[in-house]
Amino acid sequence: MIVRFEKVIPLPMIEQDTSGSGIWEAESVLFEQGKRYLAEAASGRGKTSLLSIIFGLRKDYRGVARIDDADIRSFSGKQWSELRKYQLSFVFQGLELFGDLTAYENIRLKNGITRHKTTEAIRQMSERLGIGTFLNKKAGILSFGQQQRVAIIRALCQPFSFLLADECFSHIDHANSLKTFDLITEECSRQGAGLILTSLDGTGNMKFDQRLMV
Amino acid sequence: MRTLYKILWKDQSRNHLLWAFLGTVAGFVLLLGGIQFYLNIKNVLQENRDLLDPEYIVINKKVDIGQTLGLTTAGFTVEEIDEIRKQPFAREVAPFISNMFPVSAYTENERFPDFYTELFFEAVPDDYIDVKSEQWKWNREEGIIPVIIPQDYLNLYNFGFAQSQGLPRIPKEIISMVNVKIRLRGRAKFDDFPGKIIGFSNRINSILVPYDFLSWANKEYGYFENKGPSRIILVSNDPTNPEIVRFIEEKGYDTIREKLKSSRMNIILKFIVSFLVLLAAIIIGLAFLVFLLSLQLMISRSAEKIRRLSKLGYHYLEISRPYLLILFLLLLGVTLISMVLTGILTAKFSGLAAEWSLDIPEKIDGIIYITSFGLMLLIFLANMAGIFISTRRLCKG
Repeated sequence: MIVRFEKVIPLPMIEQDTSGSGIWEAESVLFEQGKRYLAEAASGRGKTSLLSIIFGLRKDYRGVARIDDADIRSFSGKQWSELRKYQLSFVFQGLELFGDLTAYENIRLKNGITRHKTTEAIRQMSERLGIGTFLNKKAGILSFGQQQRVAIIRALCQPFSFLLADECFSHIDHANSLKTFDLITEECSRQGAGLILTSLDGTGNMKFDQRLMV
Repeated sequence: MRTLYKILWKDQSRNHLLWAFLGTVAGFVLLLGGIQFYLNIKNVLQENRDLLDPEYIVINKKVDIGQTLGLTTAGFTVEEIDEIRKQPFAREVAPFISNMFPVSAYTENERFPDFYTELFFEAVPDDYIDVKSEQWKWNREEGIIPVIIPQDYLNLYNFGFAQSQGLPRIPKEIISMVNVKIRLRGRAKFDDFPGKIIGFSNRINSILVPYDFLSWANKEYGYFENKGPSRIILVSNDPTNPEIVRFIEEKGYDTIREKLKSSRMNIILKFIVSFLVLLAAIIIGLAFLVFLLSLQLMISRSAEKIRRLSKLGYHYLEISRPYLLILFLLLLGVTLISMVLTGILTAKFSGLAAEWSLDIPEKIDGIIYITSFGLMLLIFLANMAGIFISTRRLCKG
C-alpha cells in the first residue's frame, strides 16, 4: 500500500502559518508500506489531522489524498470499513476505549473482527507491556498510561498495511515507551507494514526511516 | 461479537420498549380478535341463510293514509320495478299479479258443512314458489284450479281458531282432499271451476294460483283498473348484503323484517368490526411509533459508542445487528403472545357461542396468521430502515 498526499491541507490550517511543514507545504508526500515515519511537531500543527485524513475521519481538506492511486474521497462506507478491518490500524490520541468494558473486552472487540491474535498472544503482549494484571479490570478505572497500552495492543490485533499511532507514548515513561515501540515495530515487521507515528518529542532512541516536520 | 451486543444493549431504557411491547400486543390482539370475530359471525350468518330463507324477499309499498283514500297508488310502476331490478343485490325480480275480477269459493259436500267466501288470488312465476307439485299446472280442458295457501293460514286455524271453538284440527292431507268450487265473475258472465289446495307455502304469504291461469282469467273476466303489482318478489344473491335493507328503507318500501335480520345484523357487525379495526390500527400505529422512537433513543444514547465502533472498522450494518435482534425478538414475542391470546379468546368465544347453538370454530383462521405475519414484516422493515438510517448517519459523521 502506498499513501500519497498531493498538496493536501486541512481547511482550518489554510489561514495558519504552516511554513516549514514537510507535509502541508509539500507538493507531494509519499508514505510507503514497510517504512517507518515519524511526524514531529509542536501542538496544533496538524499531526492528528494528518492521520485522520489517511484514516478517513476528516474530509475537510483541500488537495487529493490517495491510497494506491485511488482518491480516498471516493471510498464508500463499506470500503472504509474494510480498510479499517484489514489495512489500516489506528492508535487514537483520545484512545477511544469503552470505559465500562474490561481491558480484555476492549481488545477482543477489535480482535473479534478478524481473530488475528490468539488469547494467548494477547496475554503475552500485555505481559510485555506490564499490564497483564489489569486485563480483567474495567478500562475506565485504569490510569491513562495503562489505557494507552491497552489501546496499542488493541491496534495490533488486526491485519494492517499501515499502523497510524497518534502520540501513543504521551503518558508512558521512557523505559516502557521503548518496550512498547519494540512491540509495535516487531508487529509491523511481521506484517510487512508501514508505521506513521506522531510525537511531540522524546523519540530519540527510536529508529525511523524518515522524520517529517509537520 | 458478543462484546458488541454487550456495549450497545447496556444502559438502555427497557421501560420504553416494554410499553411499546405491551401496546403492540394489545393492538394486535384487538386487531386479530376483531378479524376472527368478524369471520366467525359472517360464517354463521351465511350458514343460516337457508334456514331464514331470505333469498326470496317479498317487497311491498308501505300502506299509508293516501292509499286508503285512493290518492296514491299501492302498486309499483314499471320504472320502480326497473330500478329494483338494476340494484346490484337483485338477481331476479318478479312482480306479483292479482285477480282483476271478483272471486269467490264455496263447498258443496255432504261430509263438510257448507262454506262460502270471497277470495283473492295472486300469482308469481313458478320458479319462485317453494312448493313443487305435479298438480301445479293450469289446463283449460281439465279446468281444475290448483291453489297454494300459506302455511300460516292452516296454523291459524288449527292452533288458534279450532282450538278456541272446540273444532277438530285438520291435517294437511284432509285439506287437500276437500273439493272447493271457485267462481270467477266478470264481463257479464260467471263460471265455476273445481279448486284444489295442493300445498302450503312458507315463503309467500298469499293465496297463489298458477301464473298461466291468472293471466288467462284476467283476460277473460278482468275489468278492474290495472294499478300495477302491489307486491314484488326479489331474489338476492347475498341476502346478508346490508344494501338491501338500506334500499328498502330509503324507498319507503316494506318487507317482512324477520327475513332480513341477518342483513341488519351484518350492518351492525360491520360497524362494530370497523370500529375495532380502526381502534386497533390507532393502537398499533402508536405502538409502532413508540418502537421506532425507543430504538432511535437507544441509538442516539449510544451515538458516541457507535462512532467509536465505526473507527474500529465496524460497518453500520454490523452495528445495526444488536438493534435488529432486539427488534426481532420483541416483534416475535408480540406475534406469539398475540396469537396465543387471540386463540384463547376464539376458543372462549366458541364455547360461549355453542351455548347459543352457533357453530363457531375453535381454531383461529389462516388469514390471522397471514395478517400478523404481514404486519410484523411491515413493522420490522420500517424499523429496520430507521435503524439503518440512524447508524449509517452516525458512522459517516
